[in-house]
Amino acid sequence: MLAVKNVDVYIQASHILRSVSLDVGAREVVCLVGRNGAGKTTTLRTVMGYLRPRAGTITFKGVRVDGRRTHEIARLGVGWAPEDSGIFPDLTVAENIEIATWTRPGGSPAAERLARAYEVFPVLKTYAARKGPEMSGGERKMLSIARALALDPEMLILDEPFEGLSPAIVPVISASIATVTRLGHSILLAESNIHHVPEYADRLYVIERGEVIFAGQPHEAWKDPGVVRVIGGQT
Amino acid sequence: MSALVSILMGGVFHASILFLVAAGLQVVFGVQKVFNLACGSFYALGAYFGVSAVQWYVAAGGPPAFFIVPLIAAGALIGVTGVIVERGLLSFVYERDETFQLLLTFAVVLMMEDAIRLTWGTAPVSTSGLYLVYGQARLAGAAVPVYNLIVIAASLVIALGIGWLLTRTAFGRIIRATADNREMAEALGVDMRRVYAKVFTLGTALGTLGGALVIPATAAMSEMGVELIVEAFAVVVIGGLGSMRGAFVGALVVGILRAVAISVYPELEMLIIYLIVITVLVFRPRGLFGGAAA
Ligand SMILES: Nc1ncnc2c1ncn2[C@@H]1O[C@H](COP(=O)(O)OP(=O)(O)O)[C@@H](O)[C@H]1O
Ligand SMILES: [Mg+2]
Repeated sequence: MLAVKNVDVYIQASHILRSVSLDVGAREVVCLVGRNGAGKTTTLRTVMGYLRPRAGTITFKGVRVDGRRTHEIARLGVGWAPEDSGIFPDLTVAENIEIATWTRPGGSPAAERLARAYEVFPVLKTYAARKGPEMSGGERKMLSIARALALDPEMLILDEPFEGLSPAIVPVISASIATVTRLGHSILLAESNIHHVPEYADRLYVIERGEVIFAGQPHEAWKDPGVVRVIGGQT
Repeated sequence: MSALVSILMGGVFHASILFLVAAGLQVVFGVQKVFNLACGSFYALGAYFGVSAVQWYVAAGGPPAFFIVPLIAAGALIGVTGVIVERGLLSFVYERDETFQLLLTFAVVLMMEDAIRLTWGTAPVSTSGLYLVYGQARLAGAAVPVYNLIVIAASLVIALGIGWLLTRTAFGRIIRATADNREMAEALGVDMRRVYAKVFTLGTALGTLGGALVIPATAAMSEMGVELIVEAFAVVVIGGLGSMRGAFVGALVVGILRAVAISVYPELEMLIIYLIVITVLVFRPRGLFGGAAA
């Protein structure tokens, strides 16, 4: 579904990503794990078209997307929930979710998409008339994912969906993401805490200083000395 | 009493025009983060174009009572200049520094002033004799041109229309989302180029319409654009940059104060407005409604 091949990214003069490759298959949950500043967000933002790779290719559903503009990539079927949730504070919860049904018509009908978003995060329904600033961090994360779902995407990209959340809310969001995978969406998820990697993850990539240092099954990661050195020390 | 009403109504009339231009400035700033100095030039362009349209209409034998139809049509239509300026000039500098964008809109001001002189000459032009075609109304003993009341009503309708557009339509919500967080809007499938082109055209059309509506009451002059930029600037500082409600309240404050100043002490016309601008900048730098996108 998504194939990132040997991508090099520079931000101004600094070389941030070095020959990064990763794949996400249909219905797969793939985790990109790395410490703060390792290059996770940069990788995801490059896939979303905010940054242009200087070398390498990115294809989605067989279509080259590197060099495409962000809204085109979104309309191809990539949903994006950024690290800071990116809630539109001036819009209500319902309006936040509805946007994608106007910008990407076609596919399933709008009502069905909205119903699905609320089905995964039923609590949002009760907040439908609230505005962004009145929401907690966990509610923002939920809204961010629900809004991306309303785009009716084949793949969802989630940047640290558990970051900054109270331990009580983490399982709630984790369960919701599991529901999303059962609806047939692929998921690419960035995470800095390896203990937050959901048990249903199909594959794991470990990134360090802009390089992918491990790719494989989650349980194999613990046997890799390089990985343990980088992320094993964290609790 | 009647003198006061007459001054107030003159101020509200001016505020109605000022609101249109300032609303255009605000919507463009809110979404594109470009402070469009050229809003004043669009206002002047709308005025000149309106004069030409009405002169042509009268020469073609159109009934004078309906002169407002070609006037409004001309004012709204010439708003398409916005697409040309946005696509042809501004779109190349969005990635650049804000100072650069400001300079570019200033270049547009200078270019338009010359283009207007070249097309219409340096002498003021006007639609003589049509201002009072609708007669005068008596309000608390004061004679108020009915045309002024029409413009005030039209401006109110447009204000409500903008409010409706921003809060009730899909396009309006996309505009507000873009104003809040451009990158996120793009990730939800919003094509920024199209939104910018539409928003800038809307902003331009509000300015040209304002210019067209003012000219039955006054002549079109090549300096009118620059004068209006100064007033529109005062409006957005008082009301708060990017806020529509701010544009509305700010226009009323500036319009009425200016009218009062002109009648009491004409030399102080702009001074009192500058004083208020400075007071707001010192004590409430975000303006009365700063921070709210609608
Ligand atoms: N806008 C930027 N300008 C300069 N350096 C940046 C910028 N964004 C990210 N970086 C650098 O790129 C590296 C990777 O950052 P990021 O992708 O945000 O890491 P992560 O998401 O894994 O925490 C960091 O060293 C960071 O300092
Ligand atoms: Mg990050």
